[in-house]
Amino acid sequence: MNTLGRWEKRLLLTPTVLLLLFFSIFPLVFTLALMFGRVSFTGGAMTINFAGLDNWRRLLRDQRFWNAVLVTLKIVGIAVLAEYCIGLLLALLLWQRPWGCGFFRVLYVIPMLLTPIAVGYTWRMILDVGRGPITGLLKQLGLSPIGWLTESSVALYSIVLIDVWQWTPFMFLLLYAGLEAIPKDYLEAAEVDGASGWKKFFYVVLPLLAPPSLAALLLRTVECFKIVDIIYITTGGGPGQATESLTLFGYNVGFRTFDLAYGATIAFTLFFMVLMAAMFFTMLTRNLRSIRLE
Amino acid sequence: MIIKNMKYALRTIKVFGLYCILLSWAFVVVAPLFWLVTTSFKEKLDVYLGPKFIPWVDFKPTTRWWIRIFTVEKETLLRPYANSLIVGSISAICSTLLGLMAAYALTRFRFKFGFMKNDDILFWIVSQRIMPPIIIVFAVFSMYRALGLLDNHLGLILVYTAFNLPLSVWVIANFLNQIPPSVEEAALVDGAGPLTVLFRIVVPMLLPSLTATFLLCFVFAWNEFLFALILTYSRCQTMPILIAAQHFQRGPQWWDISALSVLAVLPPVGITIALQKYFIKGILLVGK
Repeated sequence: MNTLGRWEKRLLLTPTVLLLLFFSIFPLVFTLALMFGRVSFTGGAMTINFAGLDNWRRLLRDQRFWNAVLVTLKIVGIAVLAEYCIGLLLALLLWQRPWGCGFFRVLYVIPMLLTPIAVGYTWRMILDVGRGPITGLLKQLGLSPIGWLTESSVALYSIVLIDVWQWTPFMFLLLYAGLEAIPKDYLEAAEVDGASGWKKFFYVVLPLLAPPSLAALLLRTVECFKIVDIIYITTGGGPGQATESLTLFGYNVGFRTFDLAYGATIAFTLFFMVLMAAMFFTMLTRNLRSIRLE
Repeated sequence: MIIKNMKYALRTIKVFGLYCILLSWAFVVVAPLFWLVTTSFKEKLDVYLGPKFIPWVDFKPTTRWWIRIFTVEKETLLRPYANSLIVGSISAICSTLLGLMAAYALTRFRFKFGFMKNDDILFWIVSQRIMPPIIIVFAVFSMYRALGLLDNHLGLILVYTAFNLPLSVWVIANFLNQIPPSVEEAALVDGAGPLTVLFRIVVPMLLPSLTATFLLCFVFAWNEFLFALILTYSRCQTMPILIAAQHFQRGPQWWDISALSVLAVLPPVGITIALQKYFIKGILLVGK
């Protein structure tokens, strides 16, 4: 179908490419440059001076930075894993086509489309120590209330809980789609061969579910690394810095103290981590494919 | 007979367990939303005196805060709401349209830029989605500052369009790959130009998928927080920013902020329920 002229077909692609160059390649280069500079505002004008490796030296010695790395990794690790497990369970159950399946499917998808700020705010009310419903229930059971968002040992897990609430739907949806894509005759063939329910699950369903699983894990991991809005509204990174993710740390440094150069350095380390995670999952997918081919 | 009964019992237990799990997750999903909605109907005292759960039993619902939001506080609410609607819908239209053009080009024509072929270009576009917003925002902030685009609708629309483009190109390319090109080829043979084919034949066939893409982009733009936080400060604030700001300005005035939050989540929920058929099927198709 090569009937469009060379330039006409390029014209279709140009706006997209230009916009992406403008809003992602250029900013990336700019951020890279910013990491080796120092930004100062004098009389409203912004000047950038060369500062060598100063930002990097500062970063490596910064306790707050390493804390943010750890917080981010913890949230990503626990939340993504939990989301995958719950999402898989729900997808498998609804795949059995129980009565009311359509209703549950819509209901389960809803949280992921809600405004994260509103979600964070809702959970802030629910987890409130003084007036929250959970505290009320605990009191009725004769237990002492827990400072879900105000105790530094618990706050991180509360953030994970909120993330799981909001983003399990995403895993559920992708895994459900993966299950729906399994050809029915595969399962029938396994049944004819006398495979039991569990055998069918482990030898037919699970291997076929591996590619969509990896895709879902990749997408969710990448997105989870960027977590900021929920934390911003529930704990603001606190208590202390117990829940300060890298994005929030970068924002605080860059736009609260207006140290753009150092903020950019922090942002870049986050980008690097996301890239590593993405490459890891892409590699796994490739390996999986080569195993298939053999 | 006993074996048959046992089998029947086992099946019942299985079904029972299944519904236990399904219903408990349904509860987990609904409970926070229930709390959000009921809080917006509570009197101050009902909030302050500890948790009240069931309307008309534990507390007497009031529409006071809702009325106040639409009368006294109309000014604070209206602008951010309009901003969110304007920025969300225009940027979603742009992402869908540009995404359609790019996806059509990549699935129907052959490209070669240096070593990059169609698949590489598509991968490059989609992979832009990996970029964390925080790394982009420093450059965009400096750029907008120079161009006077801070706190400006156009600025936000541009960012959101670019931000949603990878998704829309990917989704639409998937849909395009699923419709056989034979219809288009027939039209081409009959002498229709490629752009006529795109808008007269492909677009009508893709309409449900394009709607799903538009809605998805709209919801993402509607919900976005970080860009809006940094790139706007007064005139162009969006709903998420309004809620976050209220929260910090007024402290625990739960009733007001709950009502605002309900208003903020209404469009996404409405969209999901009203168009669930297209929406979920559309996403399911992409998953394949």
